[in-house]
Amino acid sequence: MRRKKLRLPPYAKSFQFRLYLIFTGTIALLTAAFVTFYVLTELNAYRSNMEREGRLLATVLAQNARLPLFAENREALGILAEGTARYPSVLSVSIVDRERRLLAQQVKTKTVDADVIDMQVPISSPSGVLSPESALLGQSQGNEQRVIGEVHLKLDTTGARERLVTLVAASLGIGTLFWILVSLLCYQILKRVTSSFNLLLGGIEKIGNGTLSARVGLDGDDELGRAANAINAMAASLELRELENQALQDELLRAMRLEVQEEKKLVMARLIQTNKMTSLGLLLSSMAHEINNPNASIRFSGHMIGKMLGDALPLLDGVWQEEGEFYLGGVPYQRARQVLTENAGKIVENSERIAQVVQGLRDYGVGGGGQLRQRLEINSAVSAALSVLACQMKRDVQLHTSLAISIPAIAGSQQQIEQVLINLILNAMQSCAGRNGEVHLGTRHDAARGEVVVEVRDNGVGIAPETMERLFEPFYSTKLDLGGSGLGLYISQFIVSEHGGRLQLHSALGKGTVATVVLPVAPVSVVGVLATQHGQHSADPLHQVR
Amino acid sequence: MSLLRLLLLVLFTLAPTLALAYDVLLLQSMHDKGYDEAVRGFKRDYRGSVRRIVLTDYAELDLTRITREEHPKLIIAVGDRALELAQKQHAAPVLYMMALNAKPRRSAVGVSMLLDPAKYLSVLEELGCDRVGVLYDPARSGAYVKRALALAARTRVRLVLREVHAAKETPAMLASLKGKVDALWMLPDATAVSPVSTEAYFLFSQAERVPVITFAEVYLSMGGAVALTIDRNDIGRQLAELAQNVLDGNQPEDGGDPPRRMVMRTNEGVVRQLRLNPLVGR
Repeated sequence: MRRKKLRLPPYAKSFQFRLYLIFTGTIALLTAAFVTFYVLTELNAYRSNMEREGRLLATVLAQNARLPLFAENREALGILAEGTARYPSVLSVSIVDRERRLLAQQVKTKTVDADVIDMQVPISSPSGVLSPESALLGQSQGNEQRVIGEVHLKLDTTGARERLVTLVAASLGIGTLFWILVSLLCYQILKRVTSSFNLLLGGIEKIGNGTLSARVGLDGDDELGRAANAINAMAASLELRELENQALQDELLRAMRLEVQEEKKLVMARLIQTNKMTSLGLLLSSMAHEINNPNASIRFSGHMIGKMLGDALPLLDGVWQEEGEFYLGGVPYQRARQVLTENAGKIVENSERIAQVVQGLRDYGVGGGGQLRQRLEINSAVSAALSVLACQMKRDVQLHTSLAISIPAIAGSQQQIEQVLINLILNAMQSCAGRNGEVHLGTRHDAARGEVVVEVRDNGVGIAPETMERLFEPFYSTKLDLGGSGLGLYISQFIVSEHGGRLQLHSALGKGTVATVVLPVAPVSVVGVLATQHGQHSADPLHQVR
Repeated sequence: MSLLRLLLLVLFTLAPTLALAYDVLLLQSMHDKGYDEAVRGFKRDYRGSVRRIVLTDYAELDLTRITREEHPKLIIAVGDRALELAQKQHAAPVLYMMALNAKPRRSAVGVSMLLDPAKYLSVLEELGCDRVGVLYDPARSGAYVKRALALAARTRVRLVLREVHAAKETPAMLASLKGKVDALWMLPDATAVSPVSTEAYFLFSQAERVPVITFAEVYLSMGGAVALTIDRNDIGRQLAELAQNVLDGNQPEDGGDPPRRMVMRTNEGVVRQLRLNPLVGR
């Protein structure tokens, strides 16, 4: 059976109340014990006194009655008994001789209460009294007493009962008064004593609630004072730690705020970049549209020129055969015939290239990433890039190519890779501006790592260290005044990383720069081994193949 | 050799006889300090041979056989019982001392324990007490009182007599003396002065503010004013002189001589309280 737990009111749980309860309870017990002890002692003393008084009365009566009893003087005995019976507590007095004969009696009341003290004192002859002969013989006094009668005395103890009632009432009254007074005194003392505890507790609660600046205002060198000092010291230490924590938190918050701001700046930069790229895409689309139309016209014209030239050449050959050498545009016919044929083809070819480039720009601008998984041969991409750059070649810069054979194909967009290579070659050539520079372009296969590497090395001015850190930032360029957009390396890195590769730049200021494009080899299932391409690029007769 | 045997026989035969040869047979009732003092006084002054027998040392003493066999010239009885026993034989004269209550079968010679009444009367007179109450048993102290009356007639002391025939009469008799006496003369009378009634004298003395002239020092502590007591050693010496006279062939006067020497003691406190005349030169 589950016992119901006694629920105490809140004040009953206080230390002061418990101490007060213990004190008052102890005092009440002590008071009750003292009252009981006092009443019992007093009662016993009263009864003992009464008995002593009765015995004294009886003894005095026995002494006084000795001679009358010896003389059998009943009258004298009666007077003595009457005198003794006058005492308030005496109920009856009787004197008997040695033969138990009643010689005198005084009875005040017949009602014999059960609680009556009955005294019997013998009447003896005086001790030390000698016979005349013994006295003459000089015998020493003896102490032998001879009983010659007896005094019977009955004492009333109703006085004792009344005294008991009075004593109990008075003792209870005084005890209760004493208890109340001592309890009040205890309350005051406990209040004063436990005020220190309350101060201590209040201080601890304040500190526990987080008010670490609170202090326990207890003076003194006692245990509580020492405890208060210890708690104050602990609170001070906690407060110090709290302040330190707060400072750290503030610092952390500031750092986080700064970081967020930096992040925000970056995001904003990206947003701006995206916006710029979007604008660039739109610009490219617009440009492509604007270029495509005349280019289409040029290509159509090239086709028409080629077609008409094909029709005209037999006629012109017939003329040449018939009429001999003649000049077209100041050029002998045979030479002119060759130039016309080539240039007509170049018009169409370059027009198509322009169309492809524009298409590439257009694809890039509109996010043409769908060609990333196309089979790509790195050497053909290099060749295409060189073709595009043929007209950009400068006389004081020599371009050397070293294309390895048996390079596995990679997966990616040839146009984008070409774009990367064009950017790198242009940068290399620009770094050699104003000096006789050399640009080495090479490809190789790192079979161990399964990578295809394209390396563009120049002996230009190199890149300063502070510039190295910002090379891949968009719109960062050291040649903004020369028309640089600051997007080349940024776009190149983006494209290379989109192809799963990496673009690395190593430069020594004044010695040159090496740009390395590393692209992963496509799986065998995707690509096969390409045939080796050697020789000079068709677009640039100066290109040499080692 | 035969002569030696004869001498030894005579020696052994006569030796007890020589050892038991004495003049005075001293019969003492019991071992008691008072008796011993008197015997010492007797022996001090008596130079003759004495054989001492304490009666309580024997279950039954055949005095007749002793006197017949030992032929003492004189028997000294010390105490009542010794006197009674000594008077049962007739072979030797008897002298007594320290016998207060004995009732001799015939007239006996000795030293009484009662001081001469004249000494008491003298002291009473000196104390300034004219009326003196006396309680007595005629059977015991009649003769003594008679002599006292005769002597008192020659002084200014008047004896107020009360006869007591039983001890219990003493308180009443004393009560009858209230306002009638200036002093009480306590006699060594076993009837008038019993252990129970003794304090009645002193209560009377206290109540009536009259002194009690008593016969023993022990009563001074109970409230007696003056005690005239006997000198037991001197009684022995007095009896030694008397015995010597008897042995010398002188015929002593019949009856007991009063002790020749008395010792007076006073309770100064009582004397002072009762404003009695101081006793000097005693």
